Amino acid sequence: MNDLPQFPDSVPAIALSGVNLSLGRGAARVHILKDIDLHIERGAAVGLVGPSGSGKSTLLMVMAGLERPDTGRVVVAGDDLGRLGEDALARFRGRHVGIVFQSFHLIPTMTALENVAVPLELAGLADAFERAEQELVAVGLTERLHHYPAELSGGEQQRVALARALAPNPTILIADEPTGNLDETTGKQIIDLMFAGHAARKTTLVLVTHDAELAARCDRVVRLRSGRIETPREVSA
Amino acid sequence: MMQGSIAAARRDVPANRGALVLRLALRELRAGLAGFRIFLACIALGVTAIAGVSSVSQSLTEGLERDGSAILGGDVSFSLIHREANAQERSFLAQRGDVSMAATMRAMARAGEAGASLVEVKAVDAAYPLYGEAPLEPAISLADALSLREGVYGAVADEALFTRLDLKPGARLTVGEAPLEVRAVLKGEPDKLAGGIGFGPRLMMSEAALRATGLLQPGSLVRWHYRLRLADGSGRAAEAVVQAARKALPDAGWEVRTRANASPALERNVERFTQFLTLVGLAALLVGGIGVANAVKAHLDRKRDVIATLKSLGATGGTVFAIYLAQVTGLALIGSTIGAAIGASLPYVVAHVFGALLPLPIAPGLQPDELTLAIVYGVITALAFALWPLGRVHDVPAAALFRDEVAPQRARPRPRYMLGTAAAIALLAGLAVVLAYDRRVAVIFVGSAAAVFVGLRLVALAVMAAARRAPRPRSTILRLAIANIHRPGALTPTVVLSLGLGLAVLVTVTLIEGNLRHQLEAALPERAPAFYFVDIQSADAERFDAFVRQRASSAMLDRVPMLRGRIVSAKRVRAEDLKPAANAAWVLQSDRGITYADTVPAGSRVIEGEWWGADYQGPPLVSLEKRIADGLGVAVGDELVVNVLGRNITARIANLRTLDWQSLGINFVLVYSPGTFRSAPHSDLATLTYLNGSTAAEENALLKAVAASFPAVTTVRVKDALETLAGILAKLVLAIRGASLITIAAAILVLGGALAAGHHHRVYDAVVLKTVGATRVRLVAAYALEYLLLGLATGLFGVAAGSIAAALIVRQVMNFAFVWLPGPAFLAAIVALALTLLFGLVGTLVALGQKPAPVLRNL
Repeated sequence: MNDLPQFPDSVPAIALSGVNLSLGRGAARVHILKDIDLHIERGAAVGLVGPSGSGKSTLLMVMAGLERPDTGRVVVAGDDLGRLGEDALARFRGRHVGIVFQSFHLIPTMTALENVAVPLELAGLADAFERAEQELVAVGLTERLHHYPAELSGGEQQRVALARALAPNPTILIADEPTGNLDETTGKQIIDLMFAGHAARKTTLVLVTHDAELAARCDRVVRLRSGRIETPREVSA
Repeated sequence: MMQGSIAAARRDVPANRGALVLRLALRELRAGLAGFRIFLACIALGVTAIAGVSSVSQSLTEGLERDGSAILGGDVSFSLIHREANAQERSFLAQRGDVSMAATMRAMARAGEAGASLVEVKAVDAAYPLYGEAPLEPAISLADALSLREGVYGAVADEALFTRLDLKPGARLTVGEAPLEVRAVLKGEPDKLAGGIGFGPRLMMSEAALRATGLLQPGSLVRWHYRLRLADGSGRAAEAVVQAARKALPDAGWEVRTRANASPALERNVERFTQFLTLVGLAALLVGGIGVANAVKAHLDRKRDVIATLKSLGATGGTVFAIYLAQVTGLALIGSTIGAAIGASLPYVVAHVFGALLPLPIAPGLQPDELTLAIVYGVITALAFALWPLGRVHDVPAAALFRDEVAPQRARPRPRYMLGTAAAIALLAGLAVVLAYDRRVAVIFVGSAAAVFVGLRLVALAVMAAARRAPRPRSTILRLAIANIHRPGALTPTVVLSLGLGLAVLVTVTLIEGNLRHQLEAALPERAPAFYFVDIQSADAERFDAFVRQRASSAMLDRVPMLRGRIVSAKRVRAEDLKPAANAAWVLQSDRGITYADTVPAGSRVIEGEWWGADYQGPPLVSLEKRIADGLGVAVGDELVVNVLGRNITARIANLRTLDWQSLGINFVLVYSPGTFRSAPHSDLATLTYLNGSTAAEENALLKAVAASFPAVTTVRVKDALETLAGILAKLVLAIRGASLITIAAAILVLGGALAAGHHHRVYDAVVLKTVGATRVRLVAAYALEYLLLGLATGLFGVAAGSIAAALIVRQVMNFAFVWLPGPAFLAAIVALALTLLFGLVGTLVALGQKPAPVLRNL
């Protein structure tokens, strides 16, 4: 599927227009995202903030093609996600989207190196392990390549997860409360690494956080309340 | 730049995909096989049963082949009934190799006051045995033991005869008119197996001694066997002799066998029995399949996060499915290989442990074909049960990583996986049927298995629906028990399926066994004959009737003429070229008893064609048993050629009869119009039935009297014959029980696994309920009630399904009348119910022992 058009710099990395999404069935159905219009430029760092249940994580899922909106259009890296089937979406994620989760979601039966190599292997790269090793070295885990997740501290696990997300050089890097399970010092180290990766690769970063200080490091903050974007405002860099 | 390299690499994905899938599947298995113990055990058990049965059976077949010459008594054997070989035939044989003659017949051996006993006489010449040895105790030579000393011929006999007539070596016996001195115990006979079931102990004497008994009368039931030892003992040389005999002596009417088919009846029985046991093994595998499905489902539930992670990293649904399919296939291969290895060792174990007791020769060996087939069965079964849960992996949403609660996954996988499941099931059923010895039996099995599966699924749905709609009782215990039966994720479907299947198999086996015993012990018709008398000479017939009637005045005596004959051709197709159905093949294997009659024999009913008139004088007509006719593919009007006394008799089939084999009356497959054999030399067969029952003393007295006054007449006591059959049956039942035990073990394993899988629900419930004040007694009562309700519903179905299956097998396959035996059936159900309660409550007690705090902290 690499015949997807390469998108020009002028096209936003993420463009959502008129997105609505409800989840659940019958009486339990909840309207989670309401009329979302959002454009994120290529290379920008955007903080998604808002109270619990405001739809932040769901919005991330829509951007990653993990959830399909009921209405509206989602264009990421020039691809209209509404037009991609399940398998094409999976391949799209493999190529364009890196995800960092609050609970790391490393595969427990694989070493740090193997965890980072998986997306590269799935993409069919012959040098998956060499590149995975470089990524782990870059996040300071040279000594931990062959350790299993259970043998790593929380901070180390999140560094592996970050290396895994960055390894395929994704167009967008999305992070869902990446420091939520870490102590303050470790969290700060992860954020530094994440922003360094974002800056070095010009990857678009979308970050869900409750941390105002962290949000302030982003180029732009998008505030969600009850499924709506409240007041998008520019943040001075 | 890097994006470019990923894009370029993607072009190679399909080529590398297989390797990647395997790599990821192996990495995923690093956590160990702990979650797969029941999976592996279920598959290994089923495959052990199938591989073990086929390996042992193949080793027996090879044993029969290996010892073919000894069993047959030569490289080629020619058997005649009623008559000896004539000069032309003898000269034909003598030109081809060393000849040894043996004559066999049943006779009465009388030992004065000690009584009389039916014996299987075998008269041999000096060349006997051509192959193997006949060891004696004391260890004297056979020639010496059988020689004529001081006017008395010697004889040797089975230990059983010594015991029965209280003999010591050197004792005297009389057979027919000849006194014999029994000089030694016969410890073994190389060619015994080819002779089939004997109803009495063996008594071996010389040919001259047999002639001296006076039992060789025209029409006597004597078989004359001529065995040839060829200089070139190869199969080809033997076959050449057979062809030459066919050409030179086409009308000899002898039964010719070579080493390659030394005992076709035995091989057929081994094969038929193997099929039964293989089906029992397949049943074990099917039950184990449930365990596989449960284990795969539990495994995938545990791996939900990993699956979602892989998908978020770019793996397609198909790739993830392939990863887990590779795992399941690999595990199925491991389980099957373990099973095949255990199965492969069984022939060695049987030979080592039971070799001496085994009535058949066994040549233990590795059977690569049989083992491969067993492994194939194992893997296909695993796939048939795993593809459905595996298919659902395709649609595990990656969004699960962001929040715990996502829209519930659909219950059914995509159509391609449902089709895959259907294909695996069809392949399994197809293999079972195509490879079966008797396809009809296999089709019945496949149909019954499908019906039981569907039935149990419906029972589970009905039980859950009933529980859902039941009025809410005031008792908390009852309410909790009922809620547990129908709540989402309830154990009901798996428990019902595993318990139901296990119980159905248990009830089926119990009822079949019960029916077999019933047939032999209790179900004898009230007016079953007490005796068969064979070889009543025509000249003695009237005197015999008067003699017996005088001593058993209230009994009913039936006497009919009897000859033996072999079917040579039907519809002008030679017997060896006919393709009979499995249930009729036996008719062609050897000679059959035939008779002639003016009227329809008692116990028979003409259902097609017409009976000949009492004064019919035309060309030979024959009446055939309906099912045999169908099996041979002949109908009224067709031509049947039977060789009797060395002559080929051609007759037209005039009618077909049904008859009641169980009445134990005189039944013949072939009944001729009277003109056909009236003038041929023959003897009569008679039955004696005590209308008001008889005592053992009465029967013994008659047996002794007949033996004394009619030395040539052989008396078969029905009770003794049935005892012999019961002994054989007991061994068969033991084998069936052994194989069924594996099925039941699989069911218990699956049930235990299913209950264990629900364990964490139990802990959660128990802890929450304890927190809100439920006592342990109440909780145990609630759980016990739940299992009791489930067990009762399933138990009833299991008894019903097992009874239907047993009835089908007993009626359709074994051709008996089926008697439902409620005692054993319900006993099996109660045992199953008790097991469920036990298993369930053991798990529950563990759950109840949990302290609430640690569990609540982790909720």
